[in-house]
Amino acid sequence: MGSTMNELLAFIASHRAEMATRLSEHVVLVAASTAIAAAIGIPMGVVAARRPSWSRPIVGFANLAQTIPSLALFGFLIPLPLIGGIGTRTALVALTVYAVLPILRSTITGLQGVPPAVVECAVAMGLTPRQVLQQVEWPLALPSIVSGLRVAVVIGVGTATIASAIGAGGLGDYIFRGLAMVDPTVILAGALPAAMLALAADAALAAAGQLADRRRRATRHVVVLALVAALAVAIGLSGRSAAGRADLVIGSKNFTEQVVLGELMAQVIERQAGLKVERRLNLGGTAIAHEALLSGGIDVYVEYTGTSLTAIFNEPPAADSEAVFQMVRDRYAAVGVTLMPRLGFNNTFAILVRGEDAKRLGWKTVSDLAAAFRSPPTVRLKADATFKAGFGYEFLERPDGFKGLSAAYGLQFAQAPRVMDLNLIYRALAAGEIDVTAGDATSGLIETLGLTVLDDDRRYFPVYDAVPVARASVMRQYPAAAAAIRSLAGRVSAADMRRMNFAVDGEKQDPAVVVRAFLDRIGGFK
Amino acid sequence: MTETAVQFADVSASRGGRVVLRRVSLSVSAGQTVALVGRSGSGKTTLLRLVNRLLDPDRGDVLVDGRSTRSWDPIELRRRTGYVIQEAGLFPHVTVADNIATVPRLLGWSAERVAARVDELLSLVGLEPELYRGRWPDELSGGQRQRAGLARALAADPPLLLMDEPFGALDPITKGELHAEFQRVQQTLHRSVILVTHDMAEACALADQIAVLHEGELIACDTPGNVRASNDARVRTLMAAVRLTTSAKASAVKKPDTTWVQP
Repeated sequence: MGSTMNELLAFIASHRAEMATRLSEHVVLVAASTAIAAAIGIPMGVVAARRPSWSRPIVGFANLAQTIPSLALFGFLIPLPLIGGIGTRTALVALTVYAVLPILRSTITGLQGVPPAVVECAVAMGLTPRQVLQQVEWPLALPSIVSGLRVAVVIGVGTATIASAIGAGGLGDYIFRGLAMVDPTVILAGALPAAMLALAADAALAAAGQLADRRRRATRHVVVLALVAALAVAIGLSGRSAAGRADLVIGSKNFTEQVVLGELMAQVIERQAGLKVERRLNLGGTAIAHEALLSGGIDVYVEYTGTSLTAIFNEPPAADSEAVFQMVRDRYAAVGVTLMPRLGFNNTFAILVRGEDAKRLGWKTVSDLAAAFRSPPTVRLKADATFKAGFGYEFLERPDGFKGLSAAYGLQFAQAPRVMDLNLIYRALAAGEIDVTAGDATSGLIETLGLTVLDDDRRYFPVYDAVPVARASVMRQYPAAAAAIRSLAGRVSAADMRRMNFAVDGEKQDPAVVVRAFLDRIGGFK
Repeated sequence: MTETAVQFADVSASRGGRVVLRRVSLSVSAGQTVALVGRSGSGKTTLLRLVNRLLDPDRGDVLVDGRSTRSWDPIELRRRTGYVIQEAGLFPHVTVADNIATVPRLLGWSAERVAARVDELLSLVGLEPELYRGRWPDELSGGQRQRAGLARALAADPPLLLMDEPFGALDPITKGELHAEFQRVQQTLHRSVILVTHDMAEACALADQIAVLHEGELIACDTPGNVRASNDARVRTLMAAVRLTTSAKASAVKKPDTTWVQP
């Protein structure tokens, strides 16, 4: 725990500027959505409290909205015009939907809890309906309304972490990044500040509630508080809009390699084309990134041809790089998306052995490995009966995993392969617990642990060439950006990608720094 | 001899589709206290609420200062009509002083005038201003709340006062003290008062006239002495229910410290 704490502090120290941005994004998301929800929920509550016949359908509707799982709600909103798309606006809509119910309910409860005799007296004393509301009902309902706001804010701080999945930023960026990297430090870097934010906001509103309970000047205090909150939101928003409208928006999915590639796209456009680029990294998956591209929420992101083929266009996987590229290019063209040239690496499965074994036994390809176990063996391991394979569960089970592989190469091991956690296979191989495995071709651990990739010489594995996809209209509008992206054609090798992944995952370097160093190293960039 | 403050002219009213008042005619002279008595559901509260337009009659007219309530602006009418209910109905979120100041402030009085008026009224109803103006309603006893409620109703010096069971929730000794207080205030101010009560003894003690309601109809309206002497069986039933307590309470008013036994 102590070391986790130290790592966390080190991470926070090295990401101070980014952290401040994420925190302010988070605060703005929650404050703005709660303010909008209050602007909707409180008047609705006043109306519903006046007309009990309306209150049931209104509360029922708000209840229903509350039951939609947040990720699903974001999913529904993305394709909608005006309120949809990706980014802050959609996140605000979703967060507002969640915040309305507690505020609405507490307003109704608060107003209905005002003693009828007190209201009757106010009316009989000659207060106008408006004065009755302002001077009597509102102050008496206020403690209840404040408690509703507290609930809304605490829910909002939690739900806003999910907004990261649709590119709205916030502390959720760290949570999703940490989940993708299986790095508890990064998860904590998002979760801990979020929890503290929730506690702090709740305490602040509780204090406001106390003031409200101190009766007379309560209303004034709350008004002041609301103004301060509104001001904070306004400053936050103006700070963002002061940054100006970007020419292009670059997206990425939410794992390390994608974040690095998104940063690569962004930097190469900034450096080569001199355009203003906004980053919407860490989008929550292929479907969201693709939808965002179609709806114009983002203009460019890096996809893998095999993923486009199977996950987006629902075709069976294929292993021919050129054929897959052309098929995917035509399908994209039909929806107004331009497939740019391939970057130069294929992020598919990689059959891995220890480097010293490969050298000693002269293995370069998967065919070499298979030959070593056929009889009569041309080359033999010292004790082939003890040779152990270990694979992730999914690779073992999928028909296009181990079964297909052993059929394609006639690969037979003396022992049945072991099932292992995907995150452990690299270190297990390096430590000699297993002797062969199937990993990720661009894993940063391959070089670091001295592992060797055996070439898939029979082209068994489907191809997953990394390739930038861009909105065709935007590429026409900014030819310089298109040229900048094209200049990366074939320039990122699998080894380059592995190094950059390791720099971020293993060495905890900032992706922006890693990409800058890479561009400087390969040269030809300003 | 005197002018009429409130006149009910052949008034019928209903609530929730049920007729609760049938053709009631009654007039309240300026400066007089009229008690509306009757059993629960006899329509006395409804009759009271017609005066400040919390309700409108189905038929007939209620005249305040000779003008039909229908032609009064309800806000204006209410601001010149004091209103006191059981448990006082004080605003729990503001101090006693602010409660009393409500209507004067609505009328746009200056802060100094409001402050002076608040202290004057607190003294009038027997609450030491220094001690009570800054108190919250929940820091007062039942009797003190009722005094503050009366002060609030009198704040803008309304010519007419409506009181709906104002002393109903008080213990007998406190009730007796407040009766005495009310009589004292009334001797100085001479307001026109309509007092709803189900307590015949209270009506006899405080009112110049007693109007007896029975199932929405006015069955008697006379001085306390004549009502006591009424031959109407329904009036006699009401009287019988309270006769025993009357003398005890009258003495309690004079000697609040006297220990007395519940009959």
